[in-house]
Amino acid sequence: MALNFQQVFDQIREIGAGARARREILDALRKRARTLFDSWADKTAELADKVERARQADSNLRCAIPLAGRLDASHPAPVDEKPVTLLAADGSQILPDRHAALLYSLVNVGAIVLETRSGRAPETFTDSNLYYADEIYTETGMLTEEAIEQRRDIAERKKLLELAKPADGPCVALTDGPVELWGAKNGGEGDYRKNLEIHKSVLSQMQAKNMTVAGYVDKPGADLLIRTLEIAGLADEQMKDIRRQHPLRGVSDRWLFSAILEPGCRSAIFGLQSSSRPHYTGSLALHFFYLNVGQAKRPSLVRVEIPQWVADDEEKLNLLHAALLEQCRIMGARPYPYILHRAHEIAVVKFEEKRQVEQMLEIELRKAGSELDEGSNKQSAKDLKGRSRNQSAGRAV
Amino acid sequence: MDTIQIGHILRAGATGFVAGCSVSQLEAPALGALVRAPLGDRYQVFGLITGIHIDDDGLVRQLVTAGEVSPEVMHDNRERRIVPVEMSVLAVGYEMEGRIFHLLPPRPPLSLDVIYLCSDGELVKFTSAGRFGYFRHILQAKDIPIGEVLAAHILDVRQKTKNERWGEEATRELITLLRDDYPTLMSVLGALGEVV
Repeated sequence: MALNFQQVFDQIREIGAGARARREILDALRKRARTLFDSWADKTAELADKVERARQADSNLRCAIPLAGRLDASHPAPVDEKPVTLLAADGSQILPDRHAALLYSLVNVGAIVLETRSGRAPETFTDSNLYYADEIYTETGMLTEEAIEQRRDIAERKKLLELAKPADGPCVALTDGPVELWGAKNGGEGDYRKNLEIHKSVLSQMQAKNMTVAGYVDKPGADLLIRTLEIAGLADEQMKDIRRQHPLRGVSDRWLFSAILEPGCRSAIFGLQSSSRPHYTGSLALHFFYLNVGQAKRPSLVRVEIPQWVADDEEKLNLLHAALLEQCRIMGARPYPYILHRAHEIAVVKFEEKRQVEQMLEIELRKAGSELDEGSNKQSAKDLKGRSRNQSAGRAV
Repeated sequence: MDTIQIGHILRAGATGFVAGCSVSQLEAPALGALVRAPLGDRYQVFGLITGIHIDDDGLVRQLVTAGEVSPEVMHDNRERRIVPVEMSVLAVGYEMEGRIFHLLPPRPPLSLDVIYLCSDGELVKFTSAGRFGYFRHILQAKDIPIGEVLAAHILDVRQKTKNERWGEEATRELITLLRDDYPTLMSVLGALGEVV
């Protein structure tokens, strides 16, 4: 037996026994958060000052920066029937596996171009890049998972840039996840810095093409506004210890906005305070809003990340707002932009395809007389019949 | 000779095969249509389409619950996504060295062999060879709507060959073949009543 079910069961019972108490604590925290939200709703300038003081205490602080207008502003769905070109890209990757016989990596980007109200089938595209030998190493060692994900993110945006034809009218370019490039943000990591410069350059070129760029975050986990409300509730002398101050832990932005935003409505726009803020400046400064893509009795809150050139442009915002709602409606009761789902479907590398790539690579290397390594003994043991059918859900190293 | 390609073989056996095609190819094949799979210069297998099957997937299930589907999404699903359209084909004979046999083929077609819709000329050649010998394959087939397949086939032949007499003879032959199987005979005659 892989699990000690008796131990797990005991723990599950303890969790169940504590549920009521946790619920009462959460209710109290939610009440506190809502009170703070209401009381600071029209004091955005003052709140922004507090956030700035908190940022000075901790430059890695991650929260929402209130901008002009009210915190609780709600913008209804715009009536926009204009045709628009929607672009979406998504990526998947094969990471180098030192236990495998072949050490390689692959980044696959799927993209789709859909012209709304055209009556035409969308166009789909796939770009696959294989990294082998020296390509999977950097100055400091083998490519990390993070570095490959950064390459994937950049490849997605490059593909969107390549596919955009500004002459064809308004163009909305979507990716799944934040616009911000994830990774080591202290600027000291060579790879991150290099990738960040490329990322910003691509974003600038997208701006030059007048594209409406957005990152769609489904079921957002970063409670950026709640963090801001936590800061709002702190006295100045508590700021130096900001990292440890989480008085509203457990309350989510999704909960907060589900009570404020009617279906189809979007929130006010907030600036994004994160450690990457010094890197994304000017028209590339990152902003976000929340959008309720759900229905009357079933709200579904998503976070939409946008660069400043989109945040500042009412027409682009309305275009994006309308396009996202329309795309989500296509998917019915589980709203998610159809075009993003299709990009994912195109991008995903199936296990069988991975195997075929490995076979092709192996054949080619054998033909060229290259020395081929074997898979590790550990991997071989894991692949033994009887174990391979029971693949682990978690990752045991 | 008309060469309307309607799909490729997915899997095959001595008594029939299953072909796959894209949705854009789906206008040509119809239930009861005669198809052929050429396997060499002098050998091809003939079959009747006895079923057309379109699989769903998770996305399609979700889309249909959402209500109205835009033309762009419809085209995307039909033309860009892999929508598996499968045709079940019952083997009813073969041609070897220019001669038609209403027997099971000596060997089945292989995966990815192309199948074509038979032209009017090929339809005449196959259906007029012998004396409806291929009907026994249809009547013996399990899990197919025998009456409907026969009715669709006979209608197809009559419309394409303009040969009324062939239809009458085919019906008489079926009555003879099913004289000891009253339920099937009634089912077949019921379907034929719609077309004859």
